[in-house]
Amino acid sequence: MPNSSLSDADAGTVALASRKFKRRSRRLKAWFPYLLVAPAVIYLLLITLYPGIFAIVQSFYAVKFGPWNPVGFANYERLLVDTQFWGALLNTFIIGSISLALQCVIALTLAFYAYRDPWVQGWRILFLIPMLFMPSAVAFIYKLAFLDGRVFSDILIRVGLIEQNLAIQSSIWMSRGLLILADIWQWTPFLFIIFVAALQGQDEEVEEAARLDGASWFKIFWHISLPLMRPVVIEALTLRAIDITTMFANVFIITKGGPAFGTETISYFIYRTGFKFFNFGYASAASVIMLILTIIIAQTVVKRAFVSVRD
Amino acid sequence: MASLRRSRGENLFIRYLILGAWASFCLAPVLWFLSIGLRPRTEIITPQPIYWPTFSLDAWHMIWEDWPMAKYLRNSVAAIIGSVVIDLALAIPAAYSLSRYTYRGRDDIGFYILSTRMMAPAIVAVPIFFLFRNVGLLDSIWALMIVYAAINLSLVTWIIRSYMLDIPKELEDAARTDGASDLRILWEIIIPAILPGIITASVIAMIFAINEFLFTLLIASTPDAYTMSVALANFTGGSDGVIYNAIALVAFLAFLPVFLVVLLIQKHLSRGLTMGAVKG
Repeated sequence: MPNSSLSDADAGTVALASRKFKRRSRRLKAWFPYLLVAPAVIYLLLITLYPGIFAIVQSFYAVKFGPWNPVGFANYERLLVDTQFWGALLNTFIIGSISLALQCVIALTLAFYAYRDPWVQGWRILFLIPMLFMPSAVAFIYKLAFLDGRVFSDILIRVGLIEQNLAIQSSIWMSRGLLILADIWQWTPFLFIIFVAALQGQDEEVEEAARLDGASWFKIFWHISLPLMRPVVIEALTLRAIDITTMFANVFIITKGGPAFGTETISYFIYRTGFKFFNFGYASAASVIMLILTIIIAQTVVKRAFVSVRD
Repeated sequence: MASLRRSRGENLFIRYLILGAWASFCLAPVLWFLSIGLRPRTEIITPQPIYWPTFSLDAWHMIWEDWPMAKYLRNSVAAIIGSVVIDLALAIPAAYSLSRYTYRGRDDIGFYILSTRMMAPAIVAVPIFFLFRNVGLLDSIWALMIVYAAINLSLVTWIIRSYMLDIPKELEDAARTDGASDLRILWEIIIPAILPGIITASVIAMIFAINEFLFTLLIASTPDAYTMSVALANFTGGSDGVIYNAIALVAFLAFLPVFLVVLLIQKHLSRGLTMGAVKG
């Protein structure tokens, strides 16, 4: 292309102008898709890359309110031996994996029974309701029912299962269970809605053929439907896993990370370090480690989950 | 649809037992919480829980008279609508680019946009807090708008992209041979054709924006910029403890409009929630 412009040098001015225009418009055409996507990408870079770099820089400083004092790798050295940080990672993993596993099983079971039901639309709307409350509101529902109002204990006492009020607040596992229960209550519908849609979208005739061969509905579900919807299940679980690992409002409102930091998630750890103790450099170091973990997981597990479902 | 899927050979009792049990588990806390909103404060935290409270609109008066609830509501609505507008302005061209052109790096750009959805709010919370403090945007709904838009941009882009992929290319080719420019095609053909997708994306973005908690908590440090979600967490009257009946009413106040719009886009919901992977 650069050569052609030389041979055109003695052409008429009109032709030259028009060709120039064409060339420019061709170049514009090549850049056009980039121009269209650029604003969104720049916006996201500003709100993710800038904070990422900022966090990396800040993680090498001790930052309280006043000036930033460089401390080298001290924040990271401290993190490596900080049992609260590792505890928070572990708690996030424990609470998240139990909650996700239960939600998946429940949502699959419900979807299995609901998708062939004549009132499937009604079930969808009913089951959706918890998901449409603000997470902070849901947190208060559970805080009142289980802790402040002791309704749950009262019901168990009335049916004779226990004799004394449960001391949920002083038990790590009961507190974790409470966070898990609130999460299951609110977010199982997310998976349910997706699974039902995936099941309804499958070819009915395959199922019918298997039926005629005498297969039970459960067998059809297990051997035909479930393998077919595997990519959707994986993507839905991935989305859910992302949200569970960032759980914050429930911890902030219901347990405050207690007792004995037993329910402190990684989000709450960063919040507490930064905004309760104003130890911003240290919080940034924790953020950087989380960021690295996120990028690794995104580039491996998540990328595969999202690409497989769409190709 | 369900014509072939008759329930032959299945125990209907078990089906309705399971579905019914889950429905009660979903609804019982909701109804009970509604009863909390409609009772006087003295009947909330008692030695024995009260299951049949006296009816009272105390909380209703309280949220409007003792708190600037109207302002929180206005903040929520303004921040949410603003963020959805930003999202659509950025996402529609981006989705068009990702769905209609082939160019180098396209898939990586698409995945980068998607991957921002995986970023835990807590990771960027500290830097974002400093960013807004430095530019003097703390305590303003502009900051909330910018953050909500960023949170939802990946979702909105991918949902709209999925709907654009469904439009047959011939539709555009016909217009292109008539000499229409790419932008005109986007504006006059694509956008009207994917309107349901745009609405679905907006509704889902709206839900996530209403729910947003951590950033709002950090950015809105005074009631000037409180939204409903964060205002809830601050309904604690100091020594009086948590004011549950007011919280319950606000929760339902926020729930109702969300419930209504979700009913409208019900058919598209599963597709929206999976960012286009399931065509429900």
